[in-house]
Amino acid sequence: MLEPHGDCGPHGAWFALMIFYILRRLLFLPLTLFGISLLIFLMIGFLGPYQRLATFINSPERLKGADVDKLVELYGLNDPLIIQYGRWLKNVLRGNLGWSYVGKEPVLSAILKRFPYTLELTLFAAIPIIFLGTSLGVLAALNHNKPLDHGLRIFAVVGWSFPDFVFGLFVLMIFYGTLGWFPPGNLSVWAEEIVKSPHFRNFTGMLTLDALLNGRFDVFLDALRHLAGPVLTLTYVEFAFLLRITRSSMLEVLRKEYVRTARAKGLDERVVIHKHAKRNALIPVATVSGQTVIGLLAGTVIVETIFNRTGLGSFIALASQQLDYASIMGGSLFFGLILVIGNLCVDLSYALIDPRVRLE
Amino acid sequence: MREETRKALRRLFSNASGVLGVVLLGLFVIVALFAPLLAPPKPGRDPYFMPVVTWSADPLPPSREHPFGVAGKRDIFYGVVWGTRTAFRIGILVTLASTAIGLFVGSLAGYFGRILDEILMRVTDVFMAIPFLVAAMVLTTVLGTGLDKVMIALIVFSWMYPARLIRGNILQVKEEQFILAAKSLGVSDTLIILRHVLPNAIFPVLIQASMRMGSLVITAAALSFLGLGAPQGYADWGALLNYARNWMLGGYGATFKYWYMIAFPGGAMVLFVLAWNLLGDALRDAFDPRLRW
Amino acid sequence: MKEPVLLEVRNLKVYFRNDEGLELRAVDGVSFTVPPGKTVALVGESGCGKSVTALAILRLVEANGRIAGGEVLFEGKNLLALSEREMQRVRGKEIAIIFQEPSAALNPVYTVGEQIVEAILLHQSVSREKARALAEEMLHLVGIPEPRKRLNEYPHELSGGMKQRAMIAMALSCRPKLLIADEPTTSLDVTIQAQILELLRELQRQIGMAILLITHDLGIVADMADEVVVMYAGKVVERGTKYDIFKRCRHPYTLGLLRSVPRLDVDENALASIPGFVPDPLHFPEGCRFRGRCFLEDETCATEPPEVALGDGHVVYCHHAALSEVCHGER
Repeated sequence: MLEPHGDCGPHGAWFALMIFYILRRLLFLPLTLFGISLLIFLMIGFLGPYQRLATFINSPERLKGADVDKLVELYGLNDPLIIQYGRWLKNVLRGNLGWSYVGKEPVLSAILKRFPYTLELTLFAAIPIIFLGTSLGVLAALNHNKPLDHGLRIFAVVGWSFPDFVFGLFVLMIFYGTLGWFPPGNLSVWAEEIVKSPHFRNFTGMLTLDALLNGRFDVFLDALRHLAGPVLTLTYVEFAFLLRITRSSMLEVLRKEYVRTARAKGLDERVVIHKHAKRNALIPVATVSGQTVIGLLAGTVIVETIFNRTGLGSFIALASQQLDYASIMGGSLFFGLILVIGNLCVDLSYALIDPRVRLE
Repeated sequence: MREETRKALRRLFSNASGVLGVVLLGLFVIVALFAPLLAPPKPGRDPYFMPVVTWSADPLPPSREHPFGVAGKRDIFYGVVWGTRTAFRIGILVTLASTAIGLFVGSLAGYFGRILDEILMRVTDVFMAIPFLVAAMVLTTVLGTGLDKVMIALIVFSWMYPARLIRGNILQVKEEQFILAAKSLGVSDTLIILRHVLPNAIFPVLIQASMRMGSLVITAAALSFLGLGAPQGYADWGALLNYARNWMLGGYGATFKYWYMIAFPGGAMVLFVLAWNLLGDALRDAFDPRLRW
Repeated sequence: MKEPVLLEVRNLKVYFRNDEGLELRAVDGVSFTVPPGKTVALVGESGCGKSVTALAILRLVEANGRIAGGEVLFEGKNLLALSEREMQRVRGKEIAIIFQEPSAALNPVYTVGEQIVEAILLHQSVSREKARALAEEMLHLVGIPEPRKRLNEYPHELSGGMKQRAMIAMALSCRPKLLIADEPTTSLDVTIQAQILELLRELQRQIGMAILLITHDLGIVADMADEVVVMYAGKVVERGTKYDIFKRCRHPYTLGLLRSVPRLDVDENALASIPGFVPDPLHFPEGCRFRGRCFLEDETCATEPPEVALGDGHVVYCHHAALSEVCHGER
């Protein structure tokens, strides 16, 4: 793990440690991914061979008229699990994750098509979460034990206690059902037609960005309107943690001697806080922000389902409801991959932000 | 009782939000205990299944007969009352089981260290790599619906947190003088863990368990909300909220009249989770004043 | 005889409130003066209120504490009556401070140069380039090798002694008239301690600032101070010249403090410490606060001890000053 520390000796040794740490993490990355695939495979291994057949078939045509028992034999679904795992892994590494009933296409392409929508939602939610979490956290720390601090605490702990599906339903009821502002889905019907038309080029798969790149400001606004509800939900449910971390980090830094040094220099309190205290306080917050954003990906399972959005989260939810095992396996594997790589990036970037980081 | 513990408990009860948490939890305990009186089940039927009270699929607003209204042909009040028992059952059983497993694994990893520690920690990495909700979803789909299946899935994917906590505590305690002293006297490893290490780690574990209770109940309800957890008609807050979903998506202009479908089961959930979070918060403040808020 | 005065602290009181809302009188009526260009040592055990006094002079007491009374006169103007903005012009420019723990006192995320330049730009109207040149000059002055390179280094890249030198450079960059040094060498190795003290003395000669030296180390006092103020439990018990304190001290506490220093030239058996413990600030005794530990104690000590002037600025706060010719002889 990474730990900030005051004194870590000469620069060269620090650099060597850093390299060692990165290498170690990179070495463990495939191991962790291997573990995830094994775990998911073993869970699915509880199922009978017929149910597992789906994870090997790449298109429904191959099932037509075929003798299912023969197929089970063909794919060796009665072999020992370890052999089956090896075979499955080989398929996965080739990019063959099976056929998705829910998506009516191969699992991999279904995932890759939906992932940009989920990424877009996550990124849009990250902005208010990070902004509100850090700025309100600093505000609470500066008003330590005053009414504003207590008020923010109540606001945060209530938000934290709201299950996302409860808050999401309220948002849907008020902002869609009653006010008609934030409709469910990804786009309105008219905008969907434009996006699907041949003139509209898909650059990133993210609707807001593609709309801007195509110069369709109306489509952009429509996509934003559809994002508002889920973003609002994720924000209120998730910002509390960041607020807490920021607040306690800021309180800790405000007690530090270098803050007193800054005051003793004759600096204005504003400069003391914004230049000297905040910068130090936000270093640990940066890591937590990264983890929060990665964690948001999982939150999309519920939020996308409630707001009827197409995306990776609702894809997995739908697959689970319809017992589409190939999609479940592929989707959870993909989620694990994103999370592990994302967390690695966050940890490594932490080492770059903080000049004092000591590596263990 | 040690002086520290007494002080901490005094701090806990002088903390307004901690008291609020305890009071809220007390109310929920009362509701759970007196469920058969508050919402009498039909004789001869499993009380955990909400009886069907109307033939129309349309929700009915609160009335004298159905004080919280009717959703999915079932009485919301009945579901909220008996759902309290479901929530407690899931929360407590899953927390106990995962904490027990976590204690065991964490003690092994922390105490024996080295290769065993490395292996066990990499295993926790793997279990933590898949998001909790997604992992629980996968396992419940494989195991099939039913509350017991949900609980198994939640246990399988939540033992890592107490395990890591215990391991960290043990690593810390291990360096302390009295452990070295005990070891030099030839006291056995098991005895050292039981006598010295676990008592020192008990409060952090309790605090963490209380904080985790909320997220466990939310995840279990989320599974039911997605239609993966409790079977059709089971008294569960998440399942009740599932009835509301389609009515909320049914076009705008008129959905506000279905407010009771969300407000009562949703309110119960929020208060339940809030109670545990307040309690966990207050416990943490009481035992670790540095982090107070 | 009236000597010139740079800083005069009059009856200063700093009270804190603890978590249970009880009041701690950490500094309770402290008075002393600092003449220009001289070194005054503020001596006492940890927790006696000497560091709080130092912070109170700059009005930097923590949020849970407040200055409850008294005056801090700097060149005749009362610092406690200034507006916050006026006070900011005093801090760093007229009065600078260095702390005990240089690794904690420097901001870890800014380079050493950035932190010195910031102080210079704040109080002097010079360009950024000029400020950098001045900062480099300061680092050179405090004996840091390769000052230009060090400007661009972060605090964690310097050793403890170098960090304290950098702190001193920062504090003196605006040529203050008074430097408060709060246990400046406590956290450093003994050999480094001597270097830093020598540096302070040398800089005092060059710049001509007065030093208020806060320490618990009587060796440093003997080495550095012109005048000494002895504090115990939030009050001054005795003050005078170095000679007064070391050779003619009249307060039983001062005597105990002097006797608790091991010396090679005195028989080991004479090494004595003061019986008992420093009282808890919540339960300071009424009257003389040294009650309960003092060998001269009698019932008169239950009332506030009088200020007894012994001439030439030597003052002792004790009921028994007349009979406490206690320090002569063996010292």
